[in-house]
Amino acid sequence: MAFNGNFMCTSFKKELLYGAHDFDASSGDTFKIALYTNSATLNASTTAYANTNEVSGTNYSAGGQALNPVDPTSSGTTALLDFADETWSNATVTARGALIYNTTPNTTSISLTNPAVIVLDFGGDKTSTAGDFTVVFPTADASNAIIRIA
Amino acid sequence: MKGSGLGNVPTFKVAVHTTNGRGFTPEELAERCANKIIAISDDANPAIRAQAHAFRGELLKTLVFYIREAVKSDRTTVYNALTDAGQTELAKHIRRL
Repeated sequence: MAFNGNFMCTSFKKELLYGAHDFDASSGDTFKIALYTNSATLNASTTAYANTNEVSGTNYSAGGQALNPVDPTSSGTTALLDFADETWSNATVTARGALIYNTTPNTTSISLTNPAVIVLDFGGDKTSTAGDFTVVFPTADASNAIIRIA
Repeated sequence: MKGSGLGNVPTFKVAVHTTNGRGFTPEELAERCANKIIAISDDANPAIRAQAHAFRGELLKTLVFYIREAVKSDRTTVYNALTDAGQTELAKHIRRL
């Protein structure tokens, strides 16, 4: 149990090779971010979204919220991807980590339902009380971006 | 491929910002916005680093100003919407915020 770091899910890496994920900002797939308590077991082996140990609270809906991806780009020889920061407004919620997953993958070549992309470990419980809860993504450069192919 | 890095060694880090009993202030949002626009390396040439910090400082002031303007402008919109709905007392309260 419990979070033990950030992970790019192994299944996601394989699914990229099947062309299952489209991060185009305007016409790509719908990616969501769901929040979890520290009782959740999420790691590189996580393959899909599940609501077990997902947080609950005021103004938080099961399944989380849709992310706004920024079009993939490159810097030097590294391709990279960013998401706009995501905020739950006027929320009362405590979360230890999150899962980013794809709700509309391309299933032409592989069978998938809500496949996992990345596990985020917040490093400790984060709480908002009748306030805003914002996940701030790292600088979108070749050294820090949330998803990079070098 | 990086992101979680080879061998699952994390090479990225997200931050979580929260508030209690309020939303984020223009200053807090401007700080985040500036961080998205400009990142300054500790290893950069000192002269370039100083220039970058100066630019970031000016950028921050501009961002704070226009975020405050956006808040004020939105309150005008909310004030008029509440007034149109007959909620004049509530509208006045919003305008005084």
